[in-house]
Amino acid sequence: MTPRLKRTLSSLTVNLLIIFLIVYIGGPFVWMALASLQGENELLKRPPSIIPQNPTFDNYNYVFTGKIPTAYEVKGQLRSRISEEARLIAPALRNSFIIALSVMAINLLIGTPAAYTFARLNFKGKKGGYNFILASRLMPAMAIAIPYYVIIQTLKLLDTYLALILVHSALTLPFTIWFLTLYISNIPRDMDDAGLVDGCTPFQALTKIVVPLMAPGLVAAAAFAFMTSYNEFLFARFLTQSIKSQTGPVIIASIAGNPDASYSLISVCITLGLIPPLILAITLRRWLTEGLSASITFR
Amino acid sequence: MAANTIQVGQAVRRKAKLWDRVYPYISITLPFLVIALFTIYPVLYAVRISFYQYILTKPKSHPFIGLKNYIEVINSYYFRTSLVNTALYTVAAVIGVTIFGLVVSLLLNSKAKTAAALRVIILLPWAIPAVVAGLMWKWILNSDFGIFNGILYALGLIDQYLPFLANPTLAKVSLVLADIWNEGPLAAIFFLAGLQLIPNELYEAARIDGGGAWRIFRYITLPLLRPILLIVVVYETLTAILVFDLIYVLTGGGPGDSTSMISWFAYAEIFRNLNLGHGVALAIVIALITLVLILLYLRVIRSEEMVG
Repeated sequence: MTPRLKRTLSSLTVNLLIIFLIVYIGGPFVWMALASLQGENELLKRPPSIIPQNPTFDNYNYVFTGKIPTAYEVKGQLRSRISEEARLIAPALRNSFIIALSVMAINLLIGTPAAYTFARLNFKGKKGGYNFILASRLMPAMAIAIPYYVIIQTLKLLDTYLALILVHSALTLPFTIWFLTLYISNIPRDMDDAGLVDGCTPFQALTKIVVPLMAPGLVAAAAFAFMTSYNEFLFARFLTQSIKSQTGPVIIASIAGNPDASYSLISVCITLGLIPPLILAITLRRWLTEGLSASITFR
Repeated sequence: MAANTIQVGQAVRRKAKLWDRVYPYISITLPFLVIALFTIYPVLYAVRISFYQYILTKPKSHPFIGLKNYIEVINSYYFRTSLVNTALYTVAAVIGVTIFGLVVSLLLNSKAKTAAALRVIILLPWAIPAVVAGLMWKWILNSDFGIFNGILYALGLIDQYLPFLANPTLAKVSLVLADIWNEGPLAAIFFLAGLQLIPNELYEAARIDGGGAWRIFRYITLPLLRPILLIVVVYETLTAILVFDLIYVLTGGGPGDSTSMISWFAYAEIFRNLNLGHGVALAIVIALITLVLILLYLRVIRSEEMVG
């Protein structure tokens, strides 16, 4: 085998492998979007048509306005597969969004100063406090689910945004603090030392000197906090009771739990629910890699 | 006048000093309070419940029964089954996710033209709720209307639809594949972050010395990725042991109890059998198992550091 043939062959294998991965990773998303444009009877065919034969926005129309898709009227027995619950997806996603944004803001506002303190300042009880914060995440969710319910009930916060904001903050803060502490430790100390000598308080040194230097880290931490809250299911499921505070995952799981649920409506709900995280994942990818690189620099 | 300035200066400095001493505590107070509220009380509460009989169908009597919950749970048939299932699943998922992450990160770092497209979509599966990921796969793998069956059938690879989620072995494989899909991308991004920190000169030097691709990977890339490899393995082990959302929607622990993992068992004890004492005792056992695993990992890391 000539070297040139060998190179062509290896480049071919690499490209084929990548294409396979693109299908494995992207395929399910594409299928959800395509399925949401089809009528229920098309989806129940064997095999189902991948490319919609009669693409229609009826399913979306139903979710937003309540107008029953014509596809269901054609076959009478499919009528029962329409689940009213699907119409809750828009408000549920709004709840998810508000809660996740608040959790993200809390993480940045109170997590960053704490991380700076752990990375740079010396005080009594530092090691104990740091270890406590990290170890707090060791308890499996199942064990603490019931006490969480009791706490939220005692605070009279059941079925409110605030309940999930508090719980999700407690779940995400340890990671944020750990991650940002590592990140700040990797920023050269001289910069903020110079500020401290010039008479800055530690807080000013953080806001004026360190924060501008840690933008990728902050973006990565913010994205992690947002995603964790937006995607969290177990606590959201039993700390909420009505659409006043139920989040996207709770509604989607509950629609799917109904064995008669319509596939086309499920795919509409999933497609709608995917939009915010997908935008975030695509726009923030570069920042995420950069942020991770900087905090795990070899030492 | 001069004396006055000095006095004011000293007062300011004293104030600044006091502030400097108090500031660290103030800066960590809020996160500390939030975390403590949702850690100390829940843990004490959970430990307390685990020593009492707490069955919701018998709401009036909660006698203290010592270690009985633990003994009953550990001796139950489901504990052994779910422990074996969890161990199998954890090993398969950790190996699968790690290899997937390594391969994908190497491909992303390559100069292939298609790599750019993969780079754009790689993070998507990680960004969506596990519940939604499970649901997508459940429908894709459906034995009556699933698109995966449809594609295999249309390509002539199978004669009839396969029951991916209704056959114990296929259900386990499906679960691992869905998990790799969901968790692999983050591992890939971690490895990619590590790869980008390896100086190019190292590769060039190795190439000049005549190292082939495999030897370069084995003797340069892999050793330098070791710290990240450990992070990924530890993180994925914990995720796999505590897997819940995915099972909740994808298999519901079935068929039979073939995908019933340990945290699914804890969930079922609490929310289906309404036996809080059992469920919480089991959850504490899980916490102890994960703690032991973490300590073991830390030990491996430390002993390697000493050798290195």
